[in-house]
Amino acid sequence: MASEVPAFLETAVLGGLVLASVVTLLAGYRVIRGPTVPDRVVGLETIGTNVVAIAALFALQTGEGLFVTVSLVLAIIGFISTIAVARFITEGDIIE
Amino acid sequence: MSLDRQPTVIARTVTRLVVPLILVTALALLFQGHNLPGGGFIAGVLTVTAFALVYVIFGLDYLEAELLDRNPGTRYETESGIIREYGTVFAVGLAVAVGSGIAAIALGYPFLTQAVAFVEPLPIYHELEVASALVFDLGVYAVVVGALLTILAEVGSE
Repeated sequence: MASEVPAFLETAVLGGLVLASVVTLLAGYRVIRGPTVPDRVVGLETIGTNVVAIAALFALQTGEGLFVTVSLVLAIIGFISTIAVARFITEGDIIE
Repeated sequence: MSLDRQPTVIARTVTRLVVPLILVTALALLFQGHNLPGGGFIAGVLTVTAFALVYVIFGLDYLEAELLDRNPGTRYETESGIIREYGTVFAVGLAVAVGSGIAAIALGYPFLTQAVAFVEPLPIYHELEVASALVFDLGVYAVVVGALLTILAEVGSE
């Protein structure tokens, strides 16, 4: 990371990384213990969104541009899977 | 396709907005793939997710009926129609990928030897990097798109 970045920004990025990781763990608990299928699906999508956030924050922390690409592709695939699962739950089949 | 199964206006509008964005991202990953993260495989997978979104929201017949403006064939038909064309895309991609390796042999280098050229005096770009690995990436891209769309259309029609 460039040296002119203020110190509080590095602290904020580190705090964001820790927060996103903790939320991912809590969502993992919901995925394992979730009583119904939609509970598990929402938990899995929360994990996906948090992995996107972790990738973007890691790109900020290390200054590696490739993790921005990683988060972009993960966000696209997470969006598609959200739509597919929503269609499966409401309609019964995905492609008609 | 009955009317009660029509997706909401939100889903259809978002699909119209997002599919071009996904395709542009896929093309960007394809063209930067020779020296940055990306390449033919992930570009092909992203292109297939764009087509999957169209299939999920608009149904299996939409691509042929609305975009290509022709009568969609009957289901479970693999000898003609768009599934057959996906197979053609797969075959052409495989031929391009293998041909990019054979071309290196024809020039007297080992199989799949790659080269890069820099086109220097350009108006806006100043310097354009032309890598022969792009041809191999294009082949991989066509193989992945053809194979995954064949699976998607075939499984989706069952």
